[in-house]
Amino acid sequence: MKLLNKLTLYHTLSKTVIVILFTALLPLLVKEIASRYTNTALQEQKNKVLQTIEKNGIDYYFQGDSSYGSYTMLKEEYISLDAAPAGFPADTIETTQRIVEKDTLTYRVLSHVFEYNHKKYLLEIGKTLAAIDQYNAPLQRVALYALAGLILATLLIDLFFTRLLLRPLGIIIRTKLLNRKFPFKESHPPVNTSTTDFRYLDDSIIDLMNKITAAFDKEREFTSNASHELMTPISILQNKMENLMDSMPQEDEQEKITGMMQTLNRLKKIVRSLLLISRIENNQFGRQDNVAVFDLVKEVREELEDRIEAGHISIEINVSRSFTLYSVNRDLLFQLLYNLINNAIRYNKKSGSISISDEYKAGEPYVLTIEDTGIGIEKADLPFIFDRFKKAGSTSPEGFGIGLSIVKSIAQYHGIDLKLVSEKGLGTTCSVIFPAQMTTMLPPLPA
Amino acid sequence: MKVLIVEDERSMALEMEAFLKKAFYICDLAYSAKQANELLDNNPYNFILLDLGLPDKDGLVVLKEAKLKCPDASYIILTARGDLEDRIKGLDLGADDYLPKPFSLLELQSRMAAISRRKSGLAGSLVQLGDFSIDLSQRLVFFEKTSIELSKKEFDLLSYLLLHKNRPLTRLQLSEHIWGNFSDDDYDSNYIDVHIKNIRKKLAVHAPADWLQTIRGIGYKIKS
Repeated sequence: MKLLNKLTLYHTLSKTVIVILFTALLPLLVKEIASRYTNTALQEQKNKVLQTIEKNGIDYYFQGDSSYGSYTMLKEEYISLDAAPAGFPADTIETTQRIVEKDTLTYRVLSHVFEYNHKKYLLEIGKTLAAIDQYNAPLQRVALYALAGLILATLLIDLFFTRLLLRPLGIIIRTKLLNRKFPFKESHPPVNTSTTDFRYLDDSIIDLMNKITAAFDKEREFTSNASHELMTPISILQNKMENLMDSMPQEDEQEKITGMMQTLNRLKKIVRSLLLISRIENNQFGRQDNVAVFDLVKEVREELEDRIEAGHISIEINVSRSFTLYSVNRDLLFQLLYNLINNAIRYNKKSGSISISDEYKAGEPYVLTIEDTGIGIEKADLPFIFDRFKKAGSTSPEGFGIGLSIVKSIAQYHGIDLKLVSEKGLGTTCSVIFPAQMTTMLPPLPA
Repeated sequence: MKVLIVEDERSMALEMEAFLKKAFYICDLAYSAKQANELLDNNPYNFILLDLGLPDKDGLVVLKEAKLKCPDASYIILTARGDLEDRIKGLDLGADDYLPKPFSLLELQSRMAAISRRKSGLAGSLVQLGDFSIDLSQRLVFFEKTSIELSKKEFDLLSYLLLHKNRPLTRLQLSEHIWGNFSDDDYDSNYIDVHIKNIRKKLAVHAPADWLQTIRGIGYKIKS
């Protein structure tokens, strides 16, 4: 999951939890506040009554009677003043029921016992619970709406800000990491950001890439120089021998020079192959070709036609005519197939056969299989067959190893898998497994 | 034909000169870009063989400059660096051919002859060999008026032997010409024998081709 999505999810979840908790606590809170407020209001009213009695005397209420009672029109509040029964507790606030004009109502009642002129009086001030709680529901609703609105607003702000904050990271990933192919030819400018973490990340990536590119350039220079240093003396020797051959009219002398040329040729081939491998490993070959497999196989077959004929080998090609491999190096693939098919001919039986076929299911790797009826490979040799200079068995002729290690490095370079199944004396099947992304055209690089 | 050999390895340049002289080319040698420029200022050339790894200047720059001074010459790039980009750039800059070192002098001469044929555009320059005549530019072999069908490789072999007639060519030299970098030493030498056998068979239908000789332990030669 992308960081942006994770953060958005986290924000949404954390805010949802807040809303749920708040919604659950809100009624309790509102009730508690209402109850406290009522208690305070009742206390204030009590004080007012007591002050009035102190100032105007208790008859102000009694008006000659022995008790006083009054309630509001809807019986929401009442006040009563009476002689206190003996043993009545001095001060209480409780929720209790009262009968007012035949209606039984639940009140929050403050009871206060006080002394006036050596007589104990009981003052009761009550307020119905209905009146106390009448604003709870609307209050809760308003509070919830306000909260929801605020949460939504902060959520949007969070989203916007996170996006803004993470934008440089997205640019770094898009331009510096995704779809980058070695060697890094295109250079992207440093990403514009004030976040130190991203600055550090971007700088580190640029630095690393520069280091890798420098190391590869150095290696490229080295192969180029090594190539020059190795090939020049071989070249001089070869040309000297050719001129020497011309100046030696005797056939036995010419034969000796021919022998020298052959030895030199072996050296030349090994050096050339090793240089080719190091060039492949140094990514000096482009991978911009799109290749129709059938055409390529056909071309290799034509190139090898005389060998196929000379060995009386029958060759069967069952390769899809329309299949194209994308982003490969044509010359290298040609060489890979050439070496494999050449081996299939070379190590075949007289009048043997070779079958080249392919298999493909959408989204899966494309598999090209070369099957021969040749001499096969010893089981013990199979794991080392692609290793440089390791010759399979003592019976195999020269040059077996280097050709297959070229195949191996071409395969590795393209991300191709090679699978070799062989039965001594019966033949060898080599499967060339092309990675799935080569079967589809690459999308254009994001700008 | 005048050839300028631009090559900083002296012994290499001298071998090339010695070989091309025998093929009646007149050669000048330059061991540096500076020398090459001086020679180019004062002499016309048909061929310029240019090593890219010169000590005093990038070979591709030398090629560009030489093309201005001597636009009609044919250019062959020689290099031991083996950089793939060099090859592409060289051909883009108008080089006629590219030979990676080490190359065979026979191959060099063959490429030069091919360029001359291509540039002169002369068709029908027939070469007589016994009772046969060979048209190198049309790639055809005739016996009297009858055309003889040779495969591509068979014709390549025959014309290569013909170009270097009276010189024994080893199987190795022949297979390198036919298969280039794909040639596979001893193993391919056998196929040279197969091809020669086929050529002989096709020619023998019409007349004896005893000018195509086998040199034991070496290879083949055309004697005329």
